[in-house]
Amino acid sequence: MEAEVIKAELVLPTHMSFKRVQTYEKYPKGQSKVRWKQLKQIIQAENYQNYDPDEPNYVNIESPPSMQPCKRICDITGFEAPYQDPRTNLRYANADVFKLVRSLPNEYVQRYLALRKAAVVLR
Amino acid sequence: MPFISKIERQTDYNRFPSSTPIVIDNGASYFRIGWAGETEPRVIFRNIIQRPRHKSTGETVTVVGDHDTALLRYFDCTRSGPRSAFDGNVVFQFEIMEYILDFAFDRLGANGARIDHPILITECVCNPVQSRGKMAELLFETYGVPSVAFGVDAAFSYKYNQLRGICDKDGLAICPGFTTTHVIPFVDGEPVYKGSSRTNIGGYHVTDNLKQLLSLKYPHHMARFTWEKIEDLKMEHCYIAPDYALEARLFQIGSKEAEDKTRQGQRLREMAEAKRSSRVNELENQLHGLEFLLQQLGQVQEEETPSFLSKTGYVSKQEIESTLTKVSQSLRKAKGEAKVEQADNEEKADSSDKYPLINVPDNMLTSEQLKEKKRQIFLKTTTEGRQRAKQKRVEEELERERKTREDEEQRLENPELYLEQMRTKYKELCEKVEQRKRLKTNGGHANGNSSSGGVGRGERLNAAQRERMRLLTTAAFDRGKGEDNFGAKDEDWQLYKLMSKDNDDDDDGPDEIEAELARVCSRLQEIDPAFVPKPESTPSQPTTAEIPRVRPVTKEDFQVVLGVERFRCPEILFHPILVGIDQAGVDEMVGVSIRRLSTKNEALEDRLTSSIFMTGGCSLFPGINERLEAGIRMLRPCGSPIKVERASDPVLDAWRGASVYAANLQFQQQAFSRADFYEKGEDWLRQYQLRYTL
Repeated sequence: MEAEVIKAELVLPTHMSFKRVQTYEKYPKGQSKVRWKQLKQIIQAENYQNYDPDEPNYVNIESPPSMQPCKRICDITGFEAPYQDPRTNLRYANADVFKLVRSLPNEYVQRYLALRKAAVVLR
Repeated sequence: MPFISKIERQTDYNRFPSSTPIVIDNGASYFRIGWAGETEPRVIFRNIIQRPRHKSTGETVTVVGDHDTALLRYFDCTRSGPRSAFDGNVVFQFEIMEYILDFAFDRLGANGARIDHPILITECVCNPVQSRGKMAELLFETYGVPSVAFGVDAAFSYKYNQLRGICDKDGLAICPGFTTTHVIPFVDGEPVYKGSSRTNIGGYHVTDNLKQLLSLKYPHHMARFTWEKIEDLKMEHCYIAPDYALEARLFQIGSKEAEDKTRQGQRLREMAEAKRSSRVNELENQLHGLEFLLQQLGQVQEEETPSFLSKTGYVSKQEIESTLTKVSQSLRKAKGEAKVEQADNEEKADSSDKYPLINVPDNMLTSEQLKEKKRQIFLKTTTEGRQRAKQKRVEEELERERKTREDEEQRLENPELYLEQMRTKYKELCEKVEQRKRLKTNGGHANGNSSSGGVGRGERLNAAQRERMRLLTTAAFDRGKGEDNFGAKDEDWQLYKLMSKDNDDDDDGPDEIEAELARVCSRLQEIDPAFVPKPESTPSQPTTAEIPRVRPVTKEDFQVVLGVERFRCPEILFHPILVGIDQAGVDEMVGVSIRRLSTKNEALEDRLTSSIFMTGGCSLFPGINERLEAGIRMLRPCGSPIKVERASDPVLDAWRGASVYAANLQFQQQAFSRADFYEKGEDWLRQYQLRYTL
């Protein structure tokens, strides 16, 4: 280890005096082999439908979809955008922006759409 | 970063008795830990880890929090980005959590066989019991903690501010956080989770949105937009517009107010200005000091001069004068005046001092002095030549500037006409270049059968080479048949001079035209948004799609303009639909929350809305108060009282509230111990809720 790295105490030491079980004992091969459950799986495993729907739980308190009219703003400039390009599905505010929209390469089009989560995802 | 991590190791761990609880605010953005009863957390750091590989030893190490990037160069960070223990606002990666807790306890100064203090740790609203259980298990098993309590950070913040009188015992807490936003109603000082609501939008999404927008707008800067820098930008410049449509229209019509609101690399310019003015001041002071010295020297008597000089530190009067001239020159330079006067002064001084021997005639000098004289002549001519070249360059610059200025004026006068002119010029130049190319490559084909000096590979020779051949063959034939006496006379060799001259002309011509073409091309690219440069269709370069840009790098290349993005990005807190998340925004959530309470008690609802309390990092955007108030007024019946207050310190108040809570004597009854945890089981843990009023 370089001297300045040690001085700055950048790295977490492997042995901690206040721990009863050290990390290297718990995870002998470095990273743990256990695949931690993602949030979706945790929620699934909770089985909230078995419990009283009146009781607040993680899924209950989520907000419903918005009731307000959808705000349409131009993807590129941020102004109000009443128009949508049928070919690329990008929203644009006026004719100048439209010229720009049509001249964008496909990669940029997808990235602009990805801002709105409207991109075509090929999985 | 306006918010700095504190990670020095604390030394007074042993001062605290075993009954003092440790308070942890485990947030998705920052991890704060400290002792109960204090006003500031001792250790604060970003709640992320990295596991890079050390370059020389090859071992994988853990780095917690954000650290000095300069030190990370010893590590190979390509495979290890920053990782968080959170998914949304729920902890799911307990290995990472363990590393973080390790680091936190270590920096708190923990020593001894186990952490022998009760712990109060924050969690999200309605934390799934699995996450809660694993966290409790981690604390009990690995760290040997005697007792643990879980609480909601927004509730602690609310109670803390209730003590301060900022909100009442009935109210609404709005907590826009890092990954989620919560609205929690409080009745009689206790949170009612039944009426709470959560939207999965937060500061992280705002920063991410800003980062994507800026990367798309400035693709050549994409590599430099790191997440931390964008967060800095967001904290410094973003605000919430009271009405999005109005603000956008301001920018669209390009009004002066819009220009005032754009931030255009201002910070850099200000720093440069400050540096320059400080240097100018320094130099001026120096100048005054030296002038004063000179004055004094003039007044002092002849005999006393040496002693006076030794006091000031200068050896002779000339030295003072030379330093004076130097300082005044650099002052002038700093103020931006022309350097031409300087060069003139230098030249004059040089010619008089450095070349004393030049004017002396040769016969009066010894051999050594002659050599010296030759050297001085040489130096003088070279410096003169250099200066002449500089002069020419300056003149060329001026000429070019004049031309560009004329151009600009022309453009501004009549943009359409100018554009048309440019376009026609571009077309002509393109055609000329193509023609030349065609001549080079296809000219051979056309005259392949003609007598081009018996050259077999007619297609590949360009016009210049053919010309050369022609000259040579005519020269040979013109001289008449018989012997070959080509080189007998000197004038014969002049033929080669002709040839090489032809060759040069041919190569220079297209270069000039191409340079002109590149210039016109770049100009068009700057001013015409719809212009696409025609790719040069040469068969030898089928892969290049763009011609290399010869555009000179201007200062605009290093500026990032933040106009609409300033208020477009925080807008997503109110309209998550703008980033594709189909949920209610903050103002709508208040209505949802009140509806969910379903008290049908008008008075209670009025009390709730008259004490609306904002906490959490995202509530620091300027303008959020007014916007929220306007939004809530739209939902509530006309005339109902609405009052929106922000926490005294939205970022640290959660920890402070928890600290005050833990310092209370009744805290121990609210925490549960290891024995409780193992005996009572999961169901009990699910029902476990903290009582916030003690």
